[in-house]
Amino acid sequence: MLDLYAVKTQIDDMVVDERRVQEDFRAKLELALAEYRRWEPEWQTLATKINKSRTSWLLPGMADGLGGGVERPERPAEISIAATDGSQIFPDRHEVSSCFLINIGYILLHYGTGEKPLMSSKPTLYYREEEIFEEWGGRRMFVNRDLVGFKRSLMEFTELADLALAAKAEGHPVVALSDGTLILWNLEGKPQDFKESYLQTTLEAMDSLRDARIPVAGYISQPGSQELINALKLGLCPLEVADCDRCPWQAENQLGFNEDEIGAIQDDLWRGHGLPCSPLEGLNDAVLVSHVLSPGQRTPLYLSTSKILNEYGSHRIYYFYLDVGAEIGRVEIPEWVATDPELLELVHACMCDQADKGQGYPVALAEAHERAVVRGADRDTFYRFLRDTFVKNNIQTSISTKSFKKRYVGI
Amino acid sequence: MTRVENVKERKPSPLSRFMPDEMAKRDGAGAERTYVGEVVESSTTELIAEARELHGGPSFGEFIRIEADLPVLGIIFNVFTHSIEPNRRPTAYGKTEEELRLEQPQIFELLRTEFQALIIGYLDGGAPVQILPPQPARIHSFVHLCTDEEVRAFTGNDDYLRRILNTSKVPTDELLIAVLRHTLRAHERSRDYLVRMGKELSRLMGDDYDRLSSVIRRVAN
Repeated sequence: MLDLYAVKTQIDDMVVDERRVQEDFRAKLELALAEYRRWEPEWQTLATKINKSRTSWLLPGMADGLGGGVERPERPAEISIAATDGSQIFPDRHEVSSCFLINIGYILLHYGTGEKPLMSSKPTLYYREEEIFEEWGGRRMFVNRDLVGFKRSLMEFTELADLALAAKAEGHPVVALSDGTLILWNLEGKPQDFKESYLQTTLEAMDSLRDARIPVAGYISQPGSQELINALKLGLCPLEVADCDRCPWQAENQLGFNEDEIGAIQDDLWRGHGLPCSPLEGLNDAVLVSHVLSPGQRTPLYLSTSKILNEYGSHRIYYFYLDVGAEIGRVEIPEWVATDPELLELVHACMCDQADKGQGYPVALAEAHERAVVRGADRDTFYRFLRDTFVKNNIQTSISTKSFKKRYVGI
Repeated sequence: MTRVENVKERKPSPLSRFMPDEMAKRDGAGAERTYVGEVVESSTTELIAEARELHGGPSFGEFIRIEADLPVLGIIFNVFTHSIEPNRRPTAYGKTEEELRLEQPQIFELLRTEFQALIIGYLDGGAPVQILPPQPARIHSFVHLCTDEEVRAFTGNDDYLRRILNTSKVPTDELLIAVLRHTLRAHERSRDYLVRMGKELSRLMGDDYDRLSSVIRRVAN
């Protein structure tokens, strides 16, 4: 039970803090825009500095500069958009069975032909011993939420590739849209065999899309990424070549003052005034870019320098920010789309068109979500189904007392 | 040559794996079926059916037959189209239907046409009975439009008109007029039928001359 009265007083405090943050934010944004304009004509100098420096944050690889917006190209009259999304029922060890379910939503919309679209979803239930236990890095483990999440994202992508290939095989010119990032950064730190297996499957799907010349793009709504801001932060660094590990300002703060002073400085640091690069702390690329682009325009291309991409081979990921009118979205594409002007234009045009049609969010992705989503009520029905079927077939089951207690709370 | 083409036709399309099961099936064997809808709610006195095609419901006042051992007969008193998802409602786009079909094709997958029918009788061994059926139509049974011949057979007598007049759900006179216009057409506007119908109507509403003349005028013109 939530004590709303207690929450209310905390919300009031939050609002006071929030107002101060916003005032601070405006000053930061102005600085960021001024820096952006300053570097625009001499982006190559910044690009060189990026290449030489070693920072603790992710920097963009500059391919065609900072520059202004690239205008929205015209969409071909006839084009099909393929999209998938996934949802799941996580394994619940308090339930009758530790099975889990993945539901994939498929969307294939044909534009300009009046052809009937394909909108469907397919659930897959995983319940066999070898499905709910996996062995990675020499450790046998129960498939937990984390692993189900990975499995689902992988399926979303491979199914998207299959759907797009099938559409192409039927003669439709097609663009494949993926929900979210194409950069599997969250594989970092996973056991080597797990990482390799997931990467290999993803890259094989990428290969097949490239061979069929079907452009694929990941769309990220409300991106929180800060690579461009980080580039500007690097621009603020007075050193010719920055190395965050040996930051002299950091060292001075830590070593050159007595204890009282350090206390004061750390507080100052926390507010973002301590280092030469701090004044831009807390901004993100979308905010900056929203003041540079007008609706329909995209930024130049940037190469992601995420570490995992070293293993992507010829599918390294480029990205651009796109003003879809309602918001700034981030669009990620593999190298063979980024370097093929025809495919790049097609992605740009289709993304704008999709967002227009979906009142700000790509309509194919929105519909894929609608097909995939497993709501709380569906989940409850699923478990009721499962229990009933178990009982009917005389299979011994038990549910945990915790789960039982959640359903029937006595007084 | 012909044989090769046949084989080609039967091969499943690359997209069939992604289609909902019923759609994949409909592409094959079910395609030649002639039903107009499928029952989704059923009771002794009325039913609701989902039209097979969007905007493809039968017309107001038309006669339908529902597949069963004792086929149920009904007349359409309401046709409606709505969103299939309770929390999503249609909004205005400012485009023609043709433009929407080309540029917003998903809309038409999210709408559904349904129709409601008043049960007026059934067929027993092929013979029409103007009494409510002993069992309601089953959910998911197919709905067919009655042929002119079936309408003529059913309207051999006019007892069912009382059932229409006794229903409180709809603008009764409007339904009565629509039904009689269909039956008159099925009887090829025969004078004998028109006279018999007029007599039956005057028996049923003889105490309200204005109403009676309004109904007859609108049926016959």
